[in-house]
Amino acid sequence: MFQGLTFEPFSLPEEAEAIRGDIRQFLADTLDPNELPNSDFNAGDDAAFSKKLGEAGFIGMTWPKEYGGGGKSFLERYVVTEEILAAGAPVGCHWIADRQSGPLMLKFGTEEQRQHFLPKIISGDYFFSIGMSEPDTGSDLASIRTSATKVDGGWLLNGSKIWTSYAHTNHYMVTLVRTEPPSENRHAGMSQFVVDLHAEGVKVTGIRNLSNEEDFNQVFFDDVFIPDNMVVGEPGNGWEQVISELGYERSGPERFLSAFRVIVEYAREIQDNPTDEQLALLGRLAAHLVTLRRMSISVAGMLEGGKLPITEAALIKDLGNTYERMVPELVRLASVDKPSRRFIDTLNECILHAPSFTLRGGTREILKGVIARGLGLR
Amino acid sequence: MNEQQQLIKDTLDRMLTDLCTADVVDKTEAGTFAKDLWNALAETGLTVAGLPEAAGGAGGELEDSLLVIRESARYAAPIPLAEHFVAGMMIAGQDGKVGNEILTVATGDFEVDDSGKVTGSGEAPFGRWADRVVFVADASGTSKLCVIPTSDLSIEEGTSVAGEPRDTITVDTKPDDNAVMTTGDDAADKLNLMMAAVRALQMSGSLESALELSVQYSMERNQFGKPISKFQAIQQQLAVLAGEVAASTMAGHAVVAAFRDLDAVDIAIGKTRIGEAVSAGTDIAHQVHGAMGYTLEHTLNQRTRRLWCWRDEYGTERQWQVMIGQAFLKGGADNLWQNITERR
Repeated sequence: MFQGLTFEPFSLPEEAEAIRGDIRQFLADTLDPNELPNSDFNAGDDAAFSKKLGEAGFIGMTWPKEYGGGGKSFLERYVVTEEILAAGAPVGCHWIADRQSGPLMLKFGTEEQRQHFLPKIISGDYFFSIGMSEPDTGSDLASIRTSATKVDGGWLLNGSKIWTSYAHTNHYMVTLVRTEPPSENRHAGMSQFVVDLHAEGVKVTGIRNLSNEEDFNQVFFDDVFIPDNMVVGEPGNGWEQVISELGYERSGPERFLSAFRVIVEYAREIQDNPTDEQLALLGRLAAHLVTLRRMSISVAGMLEGGKLPITEAALIKDLGNTYERMVPELVRLASVDKPSRRFIDTLNECILHAPSFTLRGGTREILKGVIARGLGLR
Repeated sequence: MNEQQQLIKDTLDRMLTDLCTADVVDKTEAGTFAKDLWNALAETGLTVAGLPEAAGGAGGELEDSLLVIRESARYAAPIPLAEHFVAGMMIAGQDGKVGNEILTVATGDFEVDDSGKVTGSGEAPFGRWADRVVFVADASGTSKLCVIPTSDLSIEEGTSVAGEPRDTITVDTKPDDNAVMTTGDDAADKLNLMMAAVRALQMSGSLESALELSVQYSMERNQFGKPISKFQAIQQQLAVLAGEVAASTMAGHAVVAAFRDLDAVDIAIGKTRIGEAVSAGTDIAHQVHGAMGYTLEHTLNQRTRRLWCWRDEYGTERQWQVMIGQAFLKGGADNLWQNITERR
């Protein structure tokens, strides 16, 4: 068999299932059922919600207790994540810090960085963005031009990052930059910096997306001074560090749940008197979702076991994104009689966000390239 | 996969490589039963791997038989392994016994009258090559499991899209008392569910084989001065096929887990998800194989034609989806997520 197609069955352990009731109770107490956005992780931000979530112990759950973390397993976090997404909670503020920036610091950061940042991420006080893409750099990430030159006590940063979600409201951005000129090894000479988004020389300009929201933007750096203690990991090791995050970034429930609220609202429309056609669509969507979730949990088991399932993660993201885009397209044709405003709004919001599903975190073309490599084709 | 299953898989792979060649599959289609293949598997107990010893089986786990069924589909094994197992399970459920024989199942309309006479007709895969046929009959509102020798039936030969026997059996006989057993009212549903489950697993195995053949062909076929596997357009198609295979494998694992208690929802999810994968997957496998894949000469068709047959048997995607939709709508829209997370 090919590399990366083996998804062994894996069940979330009891201690992970045990936390499900807690997070459901928290969400029931905290969210206004009349104001639920889509379950797209980028569809809403609410600092007050993130603060409450942090206070309840649901941010940094897997991080060591010495930094204020929960010391829980990755699988317990999995349950919390999927519950939050399925409920359509506004997670935009803390999402990246919790999923990526914190774990990055735990893996590659200095003790000083951990002690400074982690407790504040956990309490819902520090929000992070990711700075990867640039105006001329998207899928070909190694072509970045934002660069830093060494100066006394730090680095001087110049260039620009784009599509940096919530950089206008967040506090920091983990930014991939060139610290050495490009060489024959395209992946060498990159580093990751923690950039204070309020530092001198940083300018953020909003970009409106299809649904007329300003959740992403462009960030400009003009001689921004980055102190040495804000370099994450070894200078020059940035590419390896970024790659090591992909298994987590691509295999989680956020890759197939973005359209879940559409299914919920569809179910609400048909629940009293469904036709066979409507039931069949719900059944079809559920069959896909249950299978995707099982694949994702299988990979969560691999990650918990210390494996690095890059191909499997790419497969889940590609299949999951395809599913997320299929959901609104099929639901809109489901002959819902006298649709409610809530159903129409949820559906349309999803349709307007859907083009981003197959772009962010690796386009479907890039993912298929990763899968093809697993098949031995390249 | 545990040690026992790894052993089964290795043994099976060797035997199928030797005895289930493309030629044997073709000869079956021309009308010659693959007797050597069946006998070899029967001698090693693989035809009854997961049936209880008391019922004449090898006494292994259910999973062992399901593995044999899935793996043999990778080789397009043209023998009623799946039907024999399900028929054996139905017989074992009534404390009956499977002998050194070939069993199949039939689905259709059958009745048992007060005198014990069995009448009716239905479809039996491989019916013409079976020794006994197992089906569920209605006896004034109660269910009877009938196990009738094919010598007591009339058989009208029919053929599936894969060229395999799908025979119509007609019964009008008063069999021995022990050939008709009182059974639970859900017997017909059970038989249908078990057949849906084994068809799902066969599809999962066969689709995996279609991917292997497609990748291999793309590396061997040269156009524009290089193997077509080097073209991004081909790579992307094969990546989609790989995704469908991976999803099918996962759904197949869930079917195996659901088999013991015959969890209808998980079996239905497997049948419909894998059935969908067949439509998308066979499209790509054929496209990658070009005109070569459209010939009977290339072995791809031994997989894809079976896939097209199996996806329609014992409930199409659409038929199962209605049932799945009902199951997930239980408790209303606000209970949907709970219903999803209960599927572990």
